[in-house]
Amino acid sequence: MVFLQSLLSGVLVGGTYALVGIGLTLIFGVMRVINFAHGDLLMIGMYLTFYLFTLSGIDPFLSIVIVIPLMFAFGAFLQRTFIHRVLNALPQNQILLTIGLGLIMSNTVMLVFTSDYKILSTSYSSGSVQLAGLSVSEPLLVSFVITAAITGALYWFLIKTDMGQAIRATAQDREAAQLMGVNVRRMGVIAFGLGAALAGTAGALISPTYYIFPQVGGAFTLKAFVVVVLGGMGSIIGATVGGVIIGAVESLSASYVSSGLKDLFVYVLFLLVLLLKPSGLLGKSRM
Amino acid sequence: MRLPLARGFALAPLLALGTGVVALVAFPLAVTNPYALHVMILLFLTVIQGESWNVLGGYTGQYSVGHAAYFGLGAYVTLMLLQFRQVPPWWGVWIAILLAVAVAIVIGSITFRLRGPYFVLASIAVAEIFRLIALNWTGFTNGAEGILLNEIPPLRIGGRTITDFVSKVPFYYAGLALAATTIAVNWGVQHSKLGYYFQAIREDQDAAHSLGISLPVYKNIALAISAFFTAWSGAFYGLYVGFIDPGTVLPVEVSVQFVLICIIGGIGTIAGPMVGALVLVPLSEALRANLLSDLLFKIGIVSEDTPTGAFLKDNLAHAHALIYGILVVLVILFMPDGVLGFAKKLFSGRRRQTPALPEVSSEKGSA
Repeated sequence: MVFLQSLLSGVLVGGTYALVGIGLTLIFGVMRVINFAHGDLLMIGMYLTFYLFTLSGIDPFLSIVIVIPLMFAFGAFLQRTFIHRVLNALPQNQILLTIGLGLIMSNTVMLVFTSDYKILSTSYSSGSVQLAGLSVSEPLLVSFVITAAITGALYWFLIKTDMGQAIRATAQDREAAQLMGVNVRRMGVIAFGLGAALAGTAGALISPTYYIFPQVGGAFTLKAFVVVVLGGMGSIIGATVGGVIIGAVESLSASYVSSGLKDLFVYVLFLLVLLLKPSGLLGKSRM
Repeated sequence: MRLPLARGFALAPLLALGTGVVALVAFPLAVTNPYALHVMILLFLTVIQGESWNVLGGYTGQYSVGHAAYFGLGAYVTLMLLQFRQVPPWWGVWIAILLAVAVAIVIGSITFRLRGPYFVLASIAVAEIFRLIALNWTGFTNGAEGILLNEIPPLRIGGRTITDFVSKVPFYYAGLALAATTIAVNWGVQHSKLGYYFQAIREDQDAAHSLGISLPVYKNIALAISAFFTAWSGAFYGLYVGFIDPGTVLPVEVSVQFVLICIIGGIGTIAGPMVGALVLVPLSEALRANLLSDLLFKIGIVSEDTPTGAFLKDNLAHAHALIYGILVVLVILFMPDGVLGFAKKLFSGRRRQTPALPEVSSEKGSA
């Protein structure tokens, strides 16, 4: 019973990890840039949601309607101003640039809103529903449903629409896509915008259940990498599966070992995957 | 024709170096202001950190963003031995260093199979594992409480007390000696066969491998040298500050700082980390002492009485991480070879007659 219970809540949390991971893998796929500021984008989404809720009473789950376009614009801005300048630079320099951008984001937020922990408490924050004998946290369940809907919409967008196909073409072969008349630079802007919007959405969805503070992003950046590497860099289905697996591992090790060490298990799993199957569960090898 | 010229050129830096060394050795005799000594010690510490990372990241091209692991290990083992087992630090530090090197070789053997961004990610994960262990193994490491050093026993040789570690002067000389050692090690790496192997791996590891350079062996040697001095710098930091906890010696920010020192100055050069330290330390000290906001008030950009002015005065002191971030972004976008490389480019642009310096290849990604 404990096993099923923690597996279920792990899978629900994993949905959010999948969302963060999909954003990261989309950016990596289209531009081959690893975004080390990804968790900080999530943090900004959390703060947006928090202030939308406290200042104008907008429900955190509804606020994604505002958070998504704002974060998309912010991501597009980052891409146009910074990232596209280093697309041909050393991978190390790309990594350092995004680390620098992350430092700027988290420290600006710290200066403006102080480093105090904020808690967004709604009427349903600690509510739970009974499901086949298992108790399920209400905010987690709602956020999982929204995550699933967004992931589904994203699949549809990438597979059915022209723009989605152009994005996938750019990810497959940048030069060939360019020869076919795809504006690869624009695809980069859209991919980064989408990645930022997904990270911001994940931030909005977890804000009722998480502490909100400027440094919260770092842990999520690393977790997003784990998710993406586990699933295979550049694979969106991989990131979805990876997110759910990481959520489950975390939740199970929290209930069977210690909640302080749950991240340790995630990182050990990460190292094992890197060493044993570096291409990930569903990815092609890019080593 | 060229010989006397070359000699004349070699003499000037040697003289400058000599005067510099004498000035640095004599500094605590002339200046007794503890804050001035403190800033100098921070400079030495930063140079040691940068030069240690440089051996692996600069010369061998393995961008570790996990050096906090070795830094924290050095600090923790030395302070735990001293505080819990009463082992004097000049013995304890060797145990810490040996342990860090052993750990480094184990980690290296595992992670050096990975390349490019995957290696960076693995190095971060390893450092995070160390931080989580230090944070959660409360009975062993004091966990989040950290370790507060009571006192360092006086150093006695043959019954004579050399120093009792009360003032900052012994730390000054220890830092100076250690900084000089790491600089010498970098010089040695740059001018030895070992260093040529390292640089060959940096430029093209597959080509280096095909020429018979064993990648795992030489990457591990570079890491071992780097971890040796990184652990030493950690022990030095812990003993000097007298307090460590997982949040100050093991977070990702510390790992980023190691890289930053070198990036700002210029990666893979001996002077790079020194330039980086000369930029970073005064900058963060100026922020801490509120010099920057005072300057803004003086120039008249913002008035001290307005809400913005009050806000800046209150907050700029904590903004050094923000400034770090801005610096990284500016350096990567506008001077990808660091301050030194930038200056060199300016200089060679002015004097067209001199043959262009061989450009360091910047195309060799290894993803």
